[in-house]
Amino acid sequence: MNTIKVTINNTSYDVPANASILEVCKQVGVEILTMCHLKGITDIGACRLCLVEVEGVNKLLPSCTTKVVPNMIIYTETEKLKRYQRITTELFFAERNHMCAVCVANGQCELQELGYKVGLDAIRYPHLFPQCEVDTSHPWYVIDHNRCIMCTRCVRVCNEVEGAHNWDVMGRGHQVRIISDFNTPWGESITCTSCGKCLHACPTGAIWPKAIVQGQLNKNPGMITELVEKRCMKL
Amino acid sequence: MAKKKLATVWLGGCSGCHMSLLDIDERILDVAKLADIVKSPIVDGKELPEVDIALVEGSVTSDEHLREILHIRHQAKTLIALGDCAVMTNVTGMRNYFPLKEVFETSYVNAISNDSEGKVPNHPSLLKLNDKVVPLQEVVTVDFVLPGCPPDADTIFYVLFEFLNDRVPDLSKVKKLKYG
Repeated sequence: MNTIKVTINNTSYDVPANASILEVCKQVGVEILTMCHLKGITDIGACRLCLVEVEGVNKLLPSCTTKVVPNMIIYTETEKLKRYQRITTELFFAERNHMCAVCVANGQCELQELGYKVGLDAIRYPHLFPQCEVDTSHPWYVIDHNRCIMCTRCVRVCNEVEGAHNWDVMGRGHQVRIISDFNTPWGESITCTSCGKCLHACPTGAIWPKAIVQGQLNKNPGMITELVEKRCMKL
Repeated sequence: MAKKKLATVWLGGCSGCHMSLLDIDERILDVAKLADIVKSPIVDGKELPEVDIALVEGSVTSDEHLREILHIRHQAKTLIALGDCAVMTNVTGMRNYFPLKEVFETSYVNAISNDSEGKVPNHPSLLKLNDKVVPLQEVVTVDFVLPGCPPDADTIFYVLFEFLNDRVPDLSKVKKLKYG
């Protein structure tokens, strides 16, 4: 395997060429916060949490979509990055209606976990309180746009792993929404196979099965990674 | 050391945070050694006097709450936002996605439990709800926030005890941060 030399937080490592900064950091045990990343599906750099500083580059780079190059000098724990991570997390909370107390994912939520990690105690931005829809038309599942953070993990898992492409994205800015087919009720979808992978991919309580109540959600996003890895195995 | 003055206030919340405060059980005696509780829903009292610490539960939902929180800010040396409602509106803020008129009509006129004569109460002595519910820090400066729905008794006691001993608590250091 081709290896190259990179420096992460002042320590030098030999890492595989053609890997992303995020993969490399995971490999050498440097923790990077992520939200839209799910191993097994394509990275798109949507959440901006995995930003890193690279010497010689005057902007922050998303580590999931940036490949390592020889002699790259990477910083993952600077004060600047920590400040941006906190701002990003606050904006997630302020953009839609995240009411942890009444959410199915309470205690099982990656957004909550992220809040604890960045030490978010209060939100300094005014909440937008948008009027978001809750689509309960599917016989088993619900999508609650109030809790969606637009990581698009559901869109990618539906397209790349299930191959159904029921989900897609509509609109721009804060009016962006996940849609089923051509913005029709989920229950009327002709592409959805009701496989439930989007449920497991969702980091928050935005997509959940009807059979559960507050705080009872049990997700297994690792299942998707495992599925992809087993498919790729040479028998 | 002179005894501190402590107040706890209930604005737009469900009183769950106060229930959690009572759950500190016998440790309230430790609090009582260091402070006098001069105003609280569980203490008889009129206007809020000058206090060292004010624990405020709930968000600002009406003209009366707004007047009250401004008064509290004026009277309190340290203002602590207690619970998710005070910090980020939480359940109280769930009416913010709808126009106020619709909220009133849903509760008082169209609710299934109402009889056909249901009407929105409008007596002049009633408080006037604001269009939007806002967390405390949007109207006053908050000195410390303690999220949680409700924050558990241990955390409340920890924060209170640190302030009573003139220390500033750090929730992230003791891993006590919690929402929901």
